[in-house]
Amino acid sequence: MTETGRCEHMKKQEPIHQIQTKKDSLSREEQQKQHEFQKEAVVHLNSLYNYALHMTMNPDDAEDLVQETYLKAYRFFNSFERGTNCKAWLFKILKNNYINRFRKNSREPGKVDYDLIKDFYHSIKDTRSDTTEAESDYFHSLLHEEVYQALHSLPEEFREVIQLCDMEGFTYEEIANMVESPIGTVRSRLYRGRKLLRGQLEDYAKKFGFNTNNNTEQ
Amino acid sequence: MNCKKARVLMSAAVDSELALKEEQDFLAHLKQCKECHEEFEDAKKTKMIIKERIVQFKAPQSLVDAIMQLTSLTAIEHEDTLLFE
Repeated sequence: MTETGRCEHMKKQEPIHQIQTKKDSLSREEQQKQHEFQKEAVVHLNSLYNYALHMTMNPDDAEDLVQETYLKAYRFFNSFERGTNCKAWLFKILKNNYINRFRKNSREPGKVDYDLIKDFYHSIKDTRSDTTEAESDYFHSLLHEEVYQALHSLPEEFREVIQLCDMEGFTYEEIANMVESPIGTVRSRLYRGRKLLRGQLEDYAKKFGFNTNNNTEQ
Repeated sequence: MNCKKARVLMSAAVDSELALKEEQDFLAHLKQCKECHEEFEDAKKTKMIIKERIVQFKAPQSLVDAIMQLTSLTAIEHEDTLLFE
């Protein structure tokens, strides 16, 4: 009665209409999988694309990475533990893909290519999503690009946890699983990363003539 | 709680990842330590900046289409493999 059982009896010479019937019954199962996959996994496409962009700094590579991730995720969708965070599962696949494909050729860790970041940012910002303009706070007056550069000036292990936590909203447990480190390490990386970032943002604030003092003295 | 311990818990406090008792102890420390209090406020602010100021790009339509097609293409490949193995 199983699909595989039926397939064992099939020969290449089978009449087209019979193959068609079997195709239909097969695809019902596939259709269900597709439906579930789209509901659970495809909804995270934008997040994955942004994460890939941050890692590769190249829109074409980011697209490839995301495609590869979805292809793999679809193939192994049965192994996804239902009820757990599908986005976290996808991010982990994406990260592994990235390590396998790109990291070997990447720039030296700790070296920041500001021109690359700038070029990248300008090449892509026209397609950006809407952002919430607002708040009079001096830090909020900083250009997006400056914040972007500050984030990218951090060593990767700090940038990674900040992105996963502050931009993607993962829990410490999920992040620990993704970066394959204990929760205590995630905590301390976030602490140190935010401190470094704060230092960077203050430099930018000074550079652009903003008041970096929290108190509202003039 | 001393400052050293408060710093260990700082990020988790920012991200609401502390257990209730830890959080109470942490907040009690902030009340009596100006330095840690400022650091906590700075860390919260830094998180907010990243959350609000980093531009999220939309995935290009070509990628959206490719992903939508991907699942159906995979299905067809899968069937073919089963049928003609």
